[in-house]
Amino acid sequence: MSQTLDPLDPLAAAHVSEVAVSVELQTPGMTLNIGPQHPSTHGVLRLVAELDGERITNVEPVIGYMHRGYEKLSEVRTYPQITALVNRIDWVSGFANEIPLMTAIERLMEIEVPERALSIRLILTELARIASHLVFLSSYPLELGAATPLMHALREREHVLELIEAVTGGRFHPNFNRIGGVKPAAGGGTTQKKVAQDLPQGFLEGTRAAMDKVVAVCDDMDTLVLGNEIFMARTKGVAPIPADKAAAYGVSGPNLRASGVPFDLRKHEDYLPYHKYEFDVVTAENGDCFDRYQVRLEEIRQSARIVTQAIEAIPTGPLQAKVPRVIKVPRGETYVRAENPKGEMGYYLVSDGGRIPYRLKIRSASFSNLSILPWALKGLIVPDIIALLGSLDFVLGDVDR
Amino acid sequence: MTTNSPDEPAVETGEAPAESAGEEPAGDSGTADLAARIAELAGAESWSADFGNAKVRVDRARWIEAVQAVRDGADLEFFSFLSAVDWSNEVAVGDPLEEAVEERYEVIVRLSSTRTNDSVTISTDLPKDDARLPTLVGMFGGANWHEREAAEMFGIEFEGHPNLSKLYLTDEFEGYPLRKTFPLLSREIKPWPGMVDVEDMPSTENPEVEPEGVAGEAAAVREEGVAEQLPSNAEGVAGVAQGQAMPQGDSPQGDETAEDGDDES
Repeated sequence: MSQTLDPLDPLAAAHVSEVAVSVELQTPGMTLNIGPQHPSTHGVLRLVAELDGERITNVEPVIGYMHRGYEKLSEVRTYPQITALVNRIDWVSGFANEIPLMTAIERLMEIEVPERALSIRLILTELARIASHLVFLSSYPLELGAATPLMHALREREHVLELIEAVTGGRFHPNFNRIGGVKPAAGGGTTQKKVAQDLPQGFLEGTRAAMDKVVAVCDDMDTLVLGNEIFMARTKGVAPIPADKAAAYGVSGPNLRASGVPFDLRKHEDYLPYHKYEFDVVTAENGDCFDRYQVRLEEIRQSARIVTQAIEAIPTGPLQAKVPRVIKVPRGETYVRAENPKGEMGYYLVSDGGRIPYRLKIRSASFSNLSILPWALKGLIVPDIIALLGSLDFVLGDVDR
Repeated sequence: MTTNSPDEPAVETGEAPAESAGEEPAGDSGTADLAARIAELAGAESWSADFGNAKVRVDRARWIEAVQAVRDGADLEFFSFLSAVDWSNEVAVGDPLEEAVEERYEVIVRLSSTRTNDSVTISTDLPKDDARLPTLVGMFGGANWHEREAAEMFGIEFEGHPNLSKLYLTDEFEGYPLRKTFPLLSREIKPWPGMVDVEDMPSTENPEVEPEGVAGEAAAVREEGVAEQLPSNAEGVAGVAQGQAMPQGDSPQGDETAEDGDDES
């Protein structure tokens, strides 16, 4: 309509004034409540989003639906009893939660953990990481509308969970670590042969086979998901998090590495003997949703690589250091952090010399990872909420503790 | 509190239960160096490096500038967490402190580097009747939620915080749950049953127990699998059941371990 309007024509004048009105009219913002029950929120997370049309002007996450008060409960439990609690912080990788706590207690008690126990801890931590990342690999495409990858990845995750179950007796909540080592033998019990004490029958063979399958499913995912045009359109360039912002918000783990920061506590800290094994710290450049997926996918391959090396060279020796019957932790305070599947998990442990912690601060990865949400969502459109939420890979138990 | 010059190791402060002398064994020299360096940057009152935990204490009046100096001067740009410890002589939960302490809230913040493995705890003391501290939100976006959590759990007011509303708890909730004087109601009604069997043991038991785990030979396991090594499943299960049935016995597992050793050799 390039035809010029005659200003004297009453109809045209009315039209012009109408156009002016609709341009100037400020539509009131809309407040959209999302959750707390929503499949893509991985638990119970509520978002109160203020929208201008489809654009998000502000988001206020409402958390606390899963708050169980573990920090308070830890103040009435003895040290060995706390492991049962911490399993349930990030329930997708229960085993990995135990490690920094055990290391903190052992550091205060100055216990030297036997190498064989450390090695078993390392293998199981990496298996937990693979299981956790496989949940992400499968559920994230589902949230974006692709159902097939879920079946592929969860099938292989089952092999990994079976391995964890075979060793510890539990699929999700192993409660397997003991102060000074690991629990001797799930189901093996005390037998006459020392050698039969710890790892179950067929564990090494089973692990090798499972790792092959896991790596194979990663290759599937490479083509099935990363090569998918719809997936790319939904994730590439969406919600990029720059490295400096991520650090200031305490965003850690794969989310931080996707922003190009090669920060991996497995390389920096010595809580488990990772230095014995070869693996790469996976990073990406853009820090968008696509990169966060890609980093985790590659991390599974690296974890499988660590596990394959580790089972070839499990040191011999005892599973448990000599510890007192009643665990009393000497007075002192320490902070032990570990690279969990979700990011930096740490325990700030304050002991007064008794059998109960005086204070146990749980630093969970998902809490800090999620806290960047209001910043990262500003200016995006509504469908990006799901894309960003899924890509941060949080677990509400890990957020609320 | 004893004030130490930053370039000397901290000495025993006495009243703080968590603090022992700065140069005690667990603090390796790397951690001590880091703590000394950070203390100088932050203008700290004292520092310690026990158990691999480099920790500097600053005065609350210098909170913001100290944290900023550490962030910029030592490249510790990663905000790990912020929380608090309630040092209280009166406790409603857990065991009371062995020695009396000065009543205070200790706010701790942990900063790390993403390039090196430097990681440091900065702490400051707040008197209980005046628990206020300026907010770190301007410096670290991540401090927002952590301060909200500390505020609702300990009742610490972070001045200048954009939105200090409750994070976990409902708005109607009264009290500050992580304070030591806040009772755990379920435990008031019924004491934690798990405590019972722990309490009886010291008098009847030998405090030291033999290593529970038994040596495994990886090579044998690798090559032969574990199946051949198991004498029989029934025996193993019986062993476990027996061990669990007599918690008051003389460390059944330890004894069996010793027997196993004889059998094998």
